[in-house]
Amino acid sequence: MPEQSNDYRVVVFGAGGVGKSSLVLRFVKGTFRDSYIPTVEDTYRQVISCDKSICTLQITDTTGSHQFPAMQRLSISKGHAFILVYSVTSRQSLEELKPIYEQVCQIKGEVETCPIMLVGNKCDETSAREVETTDGDATSKKWKCAFMETSAKTNHNVKELFQELLNLEKRRTVSLQIDGKSKQQKRAEKLKGKCVVM
Amino acid sequence: MPAGMKPLEKFLKKQTTALTRAGGFGEKATGTGASRRRASLSRVVPFFRETSPESGPAREVFSPDTEEAPCWPSATADIRSPSLSSDEQSSETSLDTSWTPLPADTPDNLALALLDSVAGKRYGNCTETLLDDFMLTHPIFLTSDRFQQVLLQQFGVEGKAGEGWPSWDGAERKQAVLSVAFRYLDTYRELLQEEGERSNSFPKELYLCAVQELSQFPELVEDVLKLQRWTEILQCPSEEDKEIRKKQVRPLFRHFRRIDACLQPREAFRGSDEIFCRVYTPDHSYVTIRSRLSCRVGEILALVREKLQYSEDQPTQPGNLLLVAVTSAGEKTAFRPSDEAVFTTLGVNTHLFACEPSELESLLPLPEEIHWSPGDSKLHDMSAEEVATQLVVFDWELFSCVHEVEFVCYVFHGEQARWRPLNLELVLQRCSEVQHWVATEILQCQSLPKRVQLLRKFIKIAALCKQQQDLLSFLAVVLGLDNPAVSRLRLTWEGLPGKFRKQFQQFESIADPSRNHKSYRDLMGSLRPPLIPFTPLLLKDLTFLHESCKSFHGELVNFEKMHKVAEMVRSIRRYRSSQLALDTEPSPSHLQTKAYIRQLQVIDNQNLLFEMSCKMEPKDM
Repeated sequence: MPEQSNDYRVVVFGAGGVGKSSLVLRFVKGTFRDSYIPTVEDTYRQVISCDKSICTLQITDTTGSHQFPAMQRLSISKGHAFILVYSVTSRQSLEELKPIYEQVCQIKGEVETCPIMLVGNKCDETSAREVETTDGDATSKKWKCAFMETSAKTNHNVKELFQELLNLEKRRTVSLQIDGKSKQQKRAEKLKGKCVVM
Repeated sequence: MPAGMKPLEKFLKKQTTALTRAGGFGEKATGTGASRRRASLSRVVPFFRETSPESGPAREVFSPDTEEAPCWPSATADIRSPSLSSDEQSSETSLDTSWTPLPADTPDNLALALLDSVAGKRYGNCTETLLDDFMLTHPIFLTSDRFQQVLLQQFGVEGKAGEGWPSWDGAERKQAVLSVAFRYLDTYRELLQEEGERSNSFPKELYLCAVQELSQFPELVEDVLKLQRWTEILQCPSEEDKEIRKKQVRPLFRHFRRIDACLQPREAFRGSDEIFCRVYTPDHSYVTIRSRLSCRVGEILALVREKLQYSEDQPTQPGNLLLVAVTSAGEKTAFRPSDEAVFTTLGVNTHLFACEPSELESLLPLPEEIHWSPGDSKLHDMSAEEVATQLVVFDWELFSCVHEVEFVCYVFHGEQARWRPLNLELVLQRCSEVQHWVATEILQCQSLPKRVQLLRKFIKIAALCKQQQDLLSFLAVVLGLDNPAVSRLRLTWEGLPGKFRKQFQQFESIADPSRNHKSYRDLMGSLRPPLIPFTPLLLKDLTFLHESCKSFHGELVNFEKMHKVAEMVRSIRRYRSSQLALDTEPSPSHLQTKAYIRQLQVIDNQNLLFEMSCKMEPKDM
């Protein structure tokens, strides 16, 4: 039975339409759709490695509107790591992240221990770009958090986003690789198991 | 258990788990009459199912499989009171006891008999009773469409002897039709409003016919104006109204409760209301969908698929998804794609899952979510008086939201009942919630002296609810204290002062189901409205009435049964016939209590409750 105390909870915030759901679904399911279905709150679970054991990565995709402030506060207080998403095609969406960042700081207190990733999504939209990479980078320095640009559409940097976020976690060792070994190590072990030295 | 307490084994423990639809996995879409009845019975009986985790499977007090249902007089095809001929009836001052039921007849003929009676007004009170009987129960045997057709037809037809309408002249005949039509519109207003465009056509058509007759029958003018108002009332809401309704999503499930909405007086839910709902997948991921309350399961699954982005280019094509209700204890009920309005049938901590048929077996329930740590319960700081008041106020709001026809539809569901008894189901859910709240609070209280205090408080709360004639919460609290996980806390019960124990014993005896709940019925008999009945028992009575008499003898409707059903609904009407006067000053603590009562957090997993109980007071070796 899944135990909540072993979960590693990542919460994704951002304005409506920036691509939160697309990022999450691209990571979890590997799919992408152009159609826009506003999210209320969805949570996806996936087994990952944690401190030489396993635990459950729980990714909560939130609403871009402000319908459920209580729900938002609850997910911040229960969350371990946060992804703040804006769209590089909308300066406004970067602005809208400020109050969310402030609320995270307020509720979490010590933001240094809390992995936070600022994400500029839709980086494939070169012609419609409003926010330069340097702007995003500057904001992340101001907020003392990590920064990355991604595209859920082209699947650029999506897995890296989550892996990097997990790497930022200092309170425990969490990784997307289940048994903590790299792919090469696994392959070597598999071969070893099959050969016998006479 | 403290000595002297009545054996609780007989008593009906509630299983919220069984509140989920008793369709059961594997039941065919078109059940036989017998299996459909079974389903309706087992939806109510679980309130009275006795369980203890130590003993084996639950024993139902009334098994649906028994041949003999409890005795009710069975109606035969032709019943008229032998002591009265039809001539004598007109001079009777009718009491319900002297009422002679309509003989069994086809649905259409019954409608004509109704019109006949209304036109003649000759039965006085009996006509009113007949009209009321017909209005409350016709969905069982006559579709709305057909009934509307009959009325329209009969309005236009000229009175001729031998057409089932003996000797009423034009005006009387037409006024009878209109009179019945207005009564119908009044009764079914909300349902008709739900139906949009379609519903408007009936008053409109009738209006047009009536207008044509005005020259010949000028006395109809008042009624014609009334009809015109009805066409406006039932008109499709304007686009603007539609937009406003679209934006308002009503909170139903716990996750989407908002304090501000909770504190507002409760409004009745309608099928067209939209709600948010979480649907889980086997790994306990979830998506939140937005759906109409009356939504079909097939549509819900379509929404879920869309959310989960199932697409053709996926390596593993998901097969047919199933929607399954999983209780906190792990019991599962799969829905059929055609099932509707399932949200209100769920137990308090029952969740919806979408999975493939192969995954059904291994579905695991969600862990319990309690958002406060034991020992911090706010209940300790609230007075019994305030808590009881808020319980009663909320019960009245919920009870008032239930339309009379919902009582009929609850029992006859699946047999042409068009209207889903949403608000009634929520009353049942509340009853279950209160029961579990009591057990949860006590079992979360680690300190023995505090626990004893809590026990006292609950008994006091029960007493106050009884005093205020809210038998729903009264018995729910008593049943909660009778939960095996609570009643086994010997040390806690022994700490209770004698007078409280005595009082509780009295309360338990009211809950005693022997001799067909005689104690409870005696109490009910002694009360004057306003009062809230213990709704599960009320529905059990209705269910037995339904199960023990046939609705049809071939093509003929057993109207005597319909009359009995209507009588039961009329008694409910009497309970609600006067207003409850409560002294509620809006102080801050009062608001806090109100919010607490309306957002109870409960554990309804009986196994878990029992575990907690054993940890708290281990079994004597």
